[in-house]
Amino acid sequence: MSAHLAAPRLRPQKPQTRSRALRLVAPVSSRARKAPFVVVVLTLLGAGLVGLILISTVLQAQSFEAARLSDEADALQTQQQALSREVDRMQSPSNIAQRALQLGMVPSANPIFLRITDGEVIGKAVPAPAKGSIRRVTQ
Amino acid sequence: MTRPRNRHSLSRRRLRGFLVVVVLVFTIFGLRLFQIQGLDTQAYAARAVEAGTARTTVPAPRGDILDRNGKDLATSVDGLTITADPSMTSDNAPRIARILVQKIGEDHIDYFDTIDKLRKPDSRFVYLVKGVPAWTAKKAVAAVQKAGFTGVFSEKESLRTYPGGRLAANLIGYVDGSGKGVQGIERQYDKQLTGTDGSSTYEVSPTGQRIPMADSTVKKMVPGGDVVSTIDRDLQWYADQRLADAVRASSSDWGLAITMDVRTGQIVQMSQVPTFDPDNQTGMQDYNTVSRAVQNVYEPGSVMKTVTMASLADQGKIAPDTPIVVPGGMTIDKFHIGDYWKHGTIHLTAAGVIAKSSNLGTIVASQQMSDETMYRYFHKFGFGTKSGVELPGESQGILKPGKEWTKANHATIAFGQGVSVTAMQMVRAVGAIANGGVMVDPTVVEGFISPDGKRTDAEPTASRRVVSKKAAAIVTRMMEAVTAKDGTAPAAAIPGYRVAGKTGTAWRVNPVTGKYVRGQNTVSFMGFAPADKPRFLTYIVLDKPYSAAGGGSTAGPVFHDIMSMALERFGVAPTGSKPPKVRQDW
Repeated sequence: MSAHLAAPRLRPQKPQTRSRALRLVAPVSSRARKAPFVVVVLTLLGAGLVGLILISTVLQAQSFEAARLSDEADALQTQQQALSREVDRMQSPSNIAQRALQLGMVPSANPIFLRITDGEVIGKAVPAPAKGSIRRVTQ
Repeated sequence: MTRPRNRHSLSRRRLRGFLVVVVLVFTIFGLRLFQIQGLDTQAYAARAVEAGTARTTVPAPRGDILDRNGKDLATSVDGLTITADPSMTSDNAPRIARILVQKIGEDHIDYFDTIDKLRKPDSRFVYLVKGVPAWTAKKAVAAVQKAGFTGVFSEKESLRTYPGGRLAANLIGYVDGSGKGVQGIERQYDKQLTGTDGSSTYEVSPTGQRIPMADSTVKKMVPGGDVVSTIDRDLQWYADQRLADAVRASSSDWGLAITMDVRTGQIVQMSQVPTFDPDNQTGMQDYNTVSRAVQNVYEPGSVMKTVTMASLADQGKIAPDTPIVVPGGMTIDKFHIGDYWKHGTIHLTAAGVIAKSSNLGTIVASQQMSDETMYRYFHKFGFGTKSGVELPGESQGILKPGKEWTKANHATIAFGQGVSVTAMQMVRAVGAIANGGVMVDPTVVEGFISPDGKRTDAEPTASRRVVSKKAAAIVTRMMEAVTAKDGTAPAAAIPGYRVAGKTGTAWRVNPVTGKYVRGQNTVSFMGFAPADKPRFLTYIVLDKPYSAAGGGSTAGPVFHDIMSMALERFGVAPTGSKPPKVRQDW
């Protein structure tokens, strides 16, 4: 700063030069074009609006799709339950016993085991009578 | 010059006028805004929320009841409640009702009753039928819509089903209309089985469409936990069937069959006849739904002789070969007691007394202990106290305190008359003899599975020693004589196995008069196998069979079949040892 302040002292200014420098000038007429700016702003706004509408439409469509899929899942779950109930019914002891009886099978008359390691039969083999302990299925 | 000046003042006046109007309009707006935002905020906000919010309840499914191998005994499926708006259906009521009855079935819905509901005046909502499986209900509602009728709707609910129907119904129990357990495991473990209903609240458009990305709150539904029972489904079915046949063949009033793992107290099978079907709700009378194994008391008869003998053996006062002089009859307190077969004075061993089921021999033996001692042992064996099985409505039976016993009481209680028990108490007591003198409380639940799939085992039940191991072995040896060729129940023997057992033919008490009824009996058979390494104990009770029926001949074969099936299913091989020969007389 001191160098700046010191300079004028070394070279004293002349009054004429000063007055010429402060002359009034005509305002510069700005010819910068406004159109591109307006277009840019409008485009941005327009794009935003269209984007918003698109997103909202897509979301709506997805919401419908979600509702449809959820209904479908519901229906499939119901079907699955119906089928698994059918499987349960088929696997139930009474159904299996019923079918075994139809095939002419009878319950084993006496528990007997085969030991795999040495092939020994443990227990007393008793032939099952033709009419076993279960003759018909009522339960 | 006047014109422009006039025009100037005119526009100025207009400007002022406009300004006033604008200020006025904005003031009104401002005031209204202040009213809405500042004064009536809450009311408006509430109304807005009300109009734009929809709520749905998500019913929590009740947990399953499984058998020991994970097979469903009771489970929950989606069900639907069918509802209607009578203002829309009254004109076509008969036709709508016909479609519904066709699709749902007459068991669930009544034709005329439905017409009345569909025509209910001044109503916009009626329940037509509840608890229909979703697959059936959906078909029915769709059929109504397809026929061109409106006003029939459906609501989601959780529905309880029992895939086995009558299978173990008295043990599993059932639920009432609101889904709360009222009997059996359903009631005892209602808390574990019941889930927490969820709900979701979300914003909807005026047309009812859900607004995406708008506020929504969801309360998560928590399904109920599963209960794993100790029942083996296939064994249970076999026992149910076998018992039903036996009850029919002997024309008994009712029958019971219980099998317990003597080491753990786990009940692997518990059958009752007659019973009910909780799945289609048939036979729901109290007579069928009562759980007789724990709620029904009766006099056990001769099976109790095993407990008397165990008490004596524990005191070292009896062994299988102890000689007993059995008189031909006795009169105690003017009460005549005899044996089921006529005899003079005979010489039986203690094993012979059990094998031949002599009342008089048991009385003679039991005279060696005082009323107090005998009561103390019976109390230790769990009579007069609940069995600890943890099932609802359990009875503790009736055992008079020893101080109040008469001479006749002492004599008859020794062979199981004048004392009332539940079958579960009897199973626990004789289970102690099978388990080397250690009594284990019975249990029907093995574990629990939480909604997230984590399994926790049930606490092992209480156990305590009631008699010495030696005493238990002595009584077991006596009981083995029962299933021998010259015992009272050779039909209960299982070839290849050593089977210990005891028959019971008890005088039946009329519950109204409290007196014995001549010719009416409760017959039973209690036994365990293999006798030298006991695993299972099976108890069969048949109430009021035809008059000539005896424990050995009527209940014995049922015991044989159920016990054989239990040994086979659980892979319990015979031990291969031979039963020691015990003298029955001297």
